[in-house]
This record gives sequence, C-alpha cells and structure tokens, in this order.
Amino acid sequence: MSMRNREWPVALALTPVLILILAPFVWLLISSFKTEAEIGRADPFTWPADLMWRNYLDAWQIGGFGDLVGNSLINLVGVVILSLITCAPAGYALAKIRFPGREWLFYAFILGLTVPVQAIVIPLYQVLFGLNLVNTLTGIVLVQVSNGIPFGIFLMRSFFIGVPDDLIEAAKIDGASHVQILTKVFLPISTPAVQALVIISALSTWNDFFLPLIVLISPEVQTLPLGLVRFASTYASDYRLVFSGTVISFLPIILLYILMQRRFTEGLTQGAIKG
Amino acid sequence: MAGHTGGLSARMPKRRTAGSGSAGGDASTAFWLMAPALGLYAVFTLLPIAATFWLSFNSSAGFNTSASFVGFDNYAKAADDPIVWKSLAHTFLWLAYHVVMAGGLGLLLALAVNRLRITQVFFRTAFFLPHLVSLAVVGVIWANIYDPFFGLMNTALTRIGLGAFTQGWLSDPALVLFSVNVASSWQGFGLYMLLFIAGLQNIDRSLYDAAEVDGANAFQKLIYVTLPGLHEVTTFVVSLAMINGLKGFATVFVMTNGGPFYQSELITTYIYRLAFQSQDHGLAAVLCILLSLLAIAITIVFNRWRARLSQ
Repeated sequence: MSMRNREWPVALALTPVLILILAPFVWLLISSFKTEAEIGRADPFTWPADLMWRNYLDAWQIGGFGDLVGNSLINLVGVVILSLITCAPAGYALAKIRFPGREWLFYAFILGLTVPVQAIVIPLYQVLFGLNLVNTLTGIVLVQVSNGIPFGIFLMRSFFIGVPDDLIEAAKIDGASHVQILTKVFLPISTPAVQALVIISALSTWNDFFLPLIVLISPEVQTLPLGLVRFASTYASDYRLVFSGTVISFLPIILLYILMQRRFTEGLTQGAIKG
Repeated sequence: MAGHTGGLSARMPKRRTAGSGSAGGDASTAFWLMAPALGLYAVFTLLPIAATFWLSFNSSAGFNTSASFVGFDNYAKAADDPIVWKSLAHTFLWLAYHVVMAGGLGLLLALAVNRLRITQVFFRTAFFLPHLVSLAVVGVIWANIYDPFFGLMNTALTRIGLGAFTQGWLSDPALVLFSVNVASSWQGFGLYMLLFIAGLQNIDRSLYDAAEVDGANAFQKLIYVTLPGLHEVTTFVVSLAMINGLKGFATVFVMTNGGPFYQSELITTYIYRLAFQSQDHGLAAVLCILLSLLAIAITIVFNRWRARLSQ
C-alpha cells in the first residue's frame, strides 16, 4: 500500500532529471529539421518553421549512410556469430572438462579481460598488416571477436558451471560426445547466457570506434560511428547535415531498444553479473 | 600466420570425439573445443601483448622500419616527457570524474527508480537511452552542445538566468577534461544504473521487514540494509567504471583531440598520437605497458577488496 503512495512523488521528482538527461536527443531531433539559417539564429528552443525532411535525404546521400549501415551490419553479424562459435565451446571446456593447462588458460584469458585494447594497438596493427587484413571488414571482425573472447568465455563458463554434472553423465551413458552434449543439452538450456552474449557483443561491436579507426581506413569499408565522425568533420560547418546525420546514426538502435527493452536489460545485467 | 589461423578454423568442423570419458580423450576434446577461441585470441591478443613488451625495449621509427634493442631508453624518455606525466595525471582525474559522475548518478537513479512500480520500466528505459549511443557519436553530439555560439549548454544557461555560468567548455584548459568527461559519463551511467537496480532487487526483503520491526526509518534502512546489501555490486560497478574510464578515448579524440595545450590528453589518446601520427613506437609501447599495469592493478585491488568485503 505504502508503495503505491510513494510512486507518484518519486516519479514527479524524477521528471526534471529525465528532461535534463534526454535534452540532447530532443535538441538534436528538433535542430535536425531546421534550415541552416534557423540553426544559425542561436536559439535552440524555437520550433522549425517547416520540417526539413530534405536534411535527412541530403545527409543520407552525401554521407553515404547506406554503405555505413551496411558495413556496420556485416560487422555486427560476423562478430556475433563468430563469438558464439568460439566462446560457447571454450566456455564449456573450461567449465566441465578437466584437462592439463586449464588454470594457465584461465589466467591467460583474465589477462585479456584486463588489458585495454589500446595497450596492444601497435603489434595488433602489424599482425593485421602481415595478414593483409588492414582495411577489410574481415580484419575488424576478427580483431573484435578476439577482443571479446575473454568476456564471452567467462560468461558462458559461469553459466555452464551451474548446469549439474549429472546431465553430462546421463548423456554420456546414452553415447553422446562432448560436442553433442554442448549443442543438444547445454546450449538449449542456456538461452539467458546466449542472449547476454549476443546483446553485449552486438552493442559493443555496433558502437566500437577505436578498432575501426585503426583498421578501416577507406570510407567504403567504414562503420557507422567512424563514418559519422568523418562526415561531421568534413561538413563541420553544415550543421543541418551534421545534426540529421547524427540522428540517423543513433535512431535505429534506440528504436530497436525500445521495442526489445526487456531482453536488452536482462541480457546486459545477466551478462555483467555472470561474466 | 594466415595459414595458422586458417588451419585452426578449417579443422573446426572435424572436432569430434568418441566421448569415451577417458582422461586422454577428454583432454584432446577440450583442446579442440578451445582451439577456435584460443587461435584467434593468441594471434590478436596474446601475441600483441608479448610484442608490446618487446617493443618497449626497442627503438623503431615507424611500421616499416626495423627495430633495434635500446634497453630502458624508451622508459627513460617517457619519464622525461612532460606530456606523459600530464596524460597520466589526466587519466587519473578522468577515472575519478567518471566513477563519481557516472557511477554516482547510476546509484542515485537506481535507488529512485527501484521504488517505482507502475512507471519503473518507463524511467529505466528512458534513462538507459544515452548508453546506446556510440561514444564517438556522443563526442559529435556534445561538441555541438558545448558550441559557444549556438550550443545547447550556454543558450540554456542564459535562458534560465544563469548566464554568468556560460563557458568556453572545450576551450578553457582548466575545464576541458571535466567537460568531455560529462559527455562520457552521460553515456556511461545507464549501465551502472541497471546493475545497481539488479543489485537492489537481490537484497532479501525480510531484512527490510526486520529493520521495520526494529523501528528503523527510511534513512536508517538505506544505511544499514540497502548500502551493505549493495556492496558487491558497488565494487563491481566501481571497477567496471574505472576500467571503462581507463579505456576512454573516443570522446576526447572526437571533441578535443587532446587539446587545448594537451589539457585533455589521456594515456590512450597519447598512445594513438605516438603510434599513428608521430610514429614513435618505442615511447608509445612504454605508455602501453603503463596502461596495462594500471588496468591490472585496478583489477587486482578491486577483486581483493571484493573478496574481503564479501567474507
């Protein structure tokens, strides 16, 4: 009962905080529909006289956003699939199989969980160069997967540890191999872990800037954040293009999140706490 | 090296064992299950870690030049470089700003939002929105918010009668690091908020009932039940925020590129400058080692703290 009484005062008190925090989005959205002259009038609070949908069309074409979104999608799908293929089996092995060197591997992965990617960037670039992967989407996918492997393995491992060993024994008696146990027993009951891995790796890949900055040099292969930064510095003085381009680069993921917010929230918190 | 990784992935579909349960069979199964992850990780993470260490003892003037062993020369050079010290100090300050602003806001909002029943999902979703935006895009957005002429910040301040507080947010050397961190923290707090909410929901309800029976008021319940119940999440959030802060790069790179006068230079942005612009790989590698040691130290200290607290 007392809960219900507390609801509206708290919600009311939070509203100004919410307005402050969302103000950048609202401001950008409104400004993105203005003419250059309206933006130049230095009054961010006036409504545009006409909604300039043209700004979006211009930004989309001039900024090559179609290609950027396409590259980001290829990047994302590649990283998510490869992360699952690499982390699920490794997490299973670390959780459920005793083998020599297991502890050492565990520490090696902790090292990767800790050391920031900026701290290994020079040799990383040299390796990519040696493999002819600079300026390729394959290169960025492989590097990002590797970067996420320690977290992904720990995440899968800590879920798999919670699965009773009896299940493995029973499956073994039925003649199942470890690969079959993983794919037919463990993965189907690990939806929360898989969901967490997919959401976290998708979000971090979609938003990554540092690795694409190093790896993706030509505009044709660049991803959305990198392309937007290049676009914003090229057209720095054409504010209506910068504003509408910026909205283009964050609106899709925000709409997706609003549609799927439960899964996002579950995935992110489960992943963070379990990993 | 192309052959090496290619080999690993090509063998992947073949990983198959009898599942006999014998120790030898299990070890080889484990190896094949680990192989794809380990192969990628070895080539793109472990090898570069080792190579960075090696590089810090060598001099090299670019990606295409050969290196020569110089002992601790790069380390001495780093100690003599005032920008190294500046970037180190800025990094510590940056971490402190991020933990206090993003972590603190995350905690406060979690405490408030968690009290809501009917509107909780709405507020949680809305507060999380900034975290979905790439930090690079956040940089573009906030560079415009801080624009002295048409930016949202100064105009809004003037409009609400706080014109005295308008600033050159990114041009004032004393203010720039803080201003950029506000942008990063705006993006970061949402995740910490979600983690704190998850922590709050894991606190045993009966503890609150017991406190109520003992006559505790709301403040006492916060101090004696809620905050102790959150200690594990708090340790986790603080260490996550510090590691995230240590990795901070995109907002600075986009908004100020370390300026003015290196006043927003972080270790990460200086590494990038040295490695990809002035091509001083030896010095950059020393900074890489420094950054790694900081990250490892933070992780160890916080895990110890966490272990001690949860005893």
